[in-house]
Amino acid sequence: MRLLLVEDEHDIQTFLKQALADAGYQVDVAPDGKTAEALATSTAYDILIVDLGLPDVDGITLILCLRHIGVHAPVLILSARRSVDDRVRGLEQGGDDYLTKPFALAELLARLRNLLKRNSPGGGEATRLRVLDLELDLLRREATRSGQPLQLTPQEFVLLEYLCRNAGRVVTRSMILDKVWGMRIQPDTNVVDVHIYRLRGKVDGNGQQPLIRTLRGVGYVIKER
Amino acid sequence: MSSKSDRPVMHSAAWRISLWATLAFACGTLLVFVFIERFVAHDIQRRSDAWLSGEVETLGDVAERTPNDALYDRVVSEVAELASKEVPNRQPSESPANDTVFFLQTGRDGTLKLWVGDGDGRANLKAIQATRVVSGRPTDIRVPGFAIPFRVATDSMNDGTRIYLGLSERDEQRVLLKLRGSFFFMWLSLVLLGFFIVFYTTRRTLSHVREITEAASRIGHSDLNARVPTSKRHDEMGHLALTLNRMLDRIEISMHQLHTITDSLAHDLRSPLTAIRGKLETSLSVVRDAEYTDSIVSAIDELDRLTDFLNKSLDVAEAKADALRLTPTEIDLDELLRAMTDLYEPSMSERGLHVNLLSEGSLTILADAGLIHRMIANLFDNELKHLTSGCTVTVNLRAVGSSASLILRDDGKGFDQEIQSQLLERRVKGKNSSGHGLGLAFVDAVVRAHGGTVEASNAARGGAQISILLPIAREGMMRGHGQVSATSA
Repeated sequence: MRLLLVEDEHDIQTFLKQALADAGYQVDVAPDGKTAEALATSTAYDILIVDLGLPDVDGITLILCLRHIGVHAPVLILSARRSVDDRVRGLEQGGDDYLTKPFALAELLARLRNLLKRNSPGGGEATRLRVLDLELDLLRREATRSGQPLQLTPQEFVLLEYLCRNAGRVVTRSMILDKVWGMRIQPDTNVVDVHIYRLRGKVDGNGQQPLIRTLRGVGYVIKER
Repeated sequence: MSSKSDRPVMHSAAWRISLWATLAFACGTLLVFVFIERFVAHDIQRRSDAWLSGEVETLGDVAERTPNDALYDRVVSEVAELASKEVPNRQPSESPANDTVFFLQTGRDGTLKLWVGDGDGRANLKAIQATRVVSGRPTDIRVPGFAIPFRVATDSMNDGTRIYLGLSERDEQRVLLKLRGSFFFMWLSLVLLGFFIVFYTTRRTLSHVREITEAASRIGHSDLNARVPTSKRHDEMGHLALTLNRMLDRIEISMHQLHTITDSLAHDLRSPLTAIRGKLETSLSVVRDAEYTDSIVSAIDELDRLTDFLNKSLDVAEAKADALRLTPTEIDLDELLRAMTDLYEPSMSERGLHVNLLSEGSLTILADAGLIHRMIANLFDNELKHLTSGCTVTVNLRAVGSSASLILRDDGKGFDQEIQSQLLERRVKGKNSSGHGLGLAFVDAVVRAHGGTVEASNAARGGAQISILLPIAREGMMRGHGQVSATSA
């Protein structure tokens, strides 16, 4: 996957480039709009990350300009602004996504994956999810571990489904709050942790191999190992 | 226009102004009409007096010249009859008998000598004698049997007799009555016409004012680039609209400056925060030592708290200046509270707390989803942090009039007495609170920005109580959201 990172802040550039490279992206960096335009016209990128506060040009103007010259790769907009511009909303409706600074790396990666998935013709929706011996029937809303049915509340099922859909990938607390509860909030209490703790009690309870793992300071991951 | 239909005309300023103006106009015109009527009445009186004096003189002449023989009575009564035909303002009488004029001559001894007129004249003589009638000055005489008084002029003869000529005031009064009648109708139509003209013009003028008011109230926090309608005429209304628009220009500029300041502050702080967080996360994936991991994790947590604090501070600062930017969408509070209770319930029961949601069902408000979510999460976080094991939180949602009432009540220790009066202020927190003291100020800021109110107090039975009122979304508001502005409380 070839990715163009348009970001002027050196510190952010460095760690993002590293993190994206670790995640398997081939990263080019443009510190300003002019370089970004030159790079985007000469190279075909699969995805772009564009910061709104560039030194020479406004990020949105740059995106619209790139669209105009035929660059149709999806864009993840990074913004340090407080309010979401109407034009950003417009781009969001057009298939792009935005993320406010500061962000968790896991969330950035998840959004990139989502953008790429949205733009690739994927297969039909699966009706079953499987992670090792954990199985989810999405139609009947039932989960089993090693063939034993799990007594889950509807909310717990949604949470487990979200973790399984992202199996092997870290999800942050705010991603869980957003996707499972539909809230973009930042509680300063351990509300999500308690939900995970309860879910873990049901999924990994009977001395089985622990599936749901906590990555301290980052989030949670369901792993097949 | 909606306000036309939902406000009765009687309560409008145009109605009041027209009423007062009409009252003044009616009094003025009434005075003028009364004056004219007095003047005309006086003139009619003067004319009939002149006629009476003239006639009585003529009759006196005739009586004196006519020899006092058998023919005297006839000649004098003929002349008197003739005179009665020339009565001024004469109206055709319904009765054939001549009851408008009488002629009367008394002898030297005051007895009735000659009578021309209706009846035998005795009553007339009696009435004349009861009143003192002097020559040259006609006087009103009331005769029993006649509803209307007579105007009587007199003249004394050389032979010591006296002649009296009486003229009924009936015709005069009839003329005056007719005059008064037409004056009254004229006055009434003038007053009504005046009322309608005043009402129409004030209503037209005030409709401009109402348009301006409606436009101005529409222009809230998020819709500051709109302006009130200006008219082409350079009158007071035009000036009002222009002045309002100039004021809005200034507000927009200062609000824009505030936004620029908070934006650049946010930007300047968030960029380094992003870099720090990213570096911490990167090192977290490399470091395997548990001791380091712990410090890095807590650093990330602190950083997230700092970010949240920064966001809330800027939101509260903007809300204090009535400059909070909102993106209103429809939010079902019932649904949201259920989700929120569901989210917080495990953490609460973990700490030995109970939570009860009492809701009367779906209640939709038009609000900024992000802010409302954070505001309610804040309330739940507060309960979670400050209550001791065994307490119960009751969340009550119901409609009160046109507002959604959300009451959060607990049976804990309640708020510290010292900070009771300033709970909603920034940096105010209880002695044992570990927070920034922003929580309730943030709640207050969000609710106010949406046109609602917050009350925080200790309930009578103990425990803290937070009551929030938020306006329920109306049909009309739903259609145009995006441009709808929240009005400040």
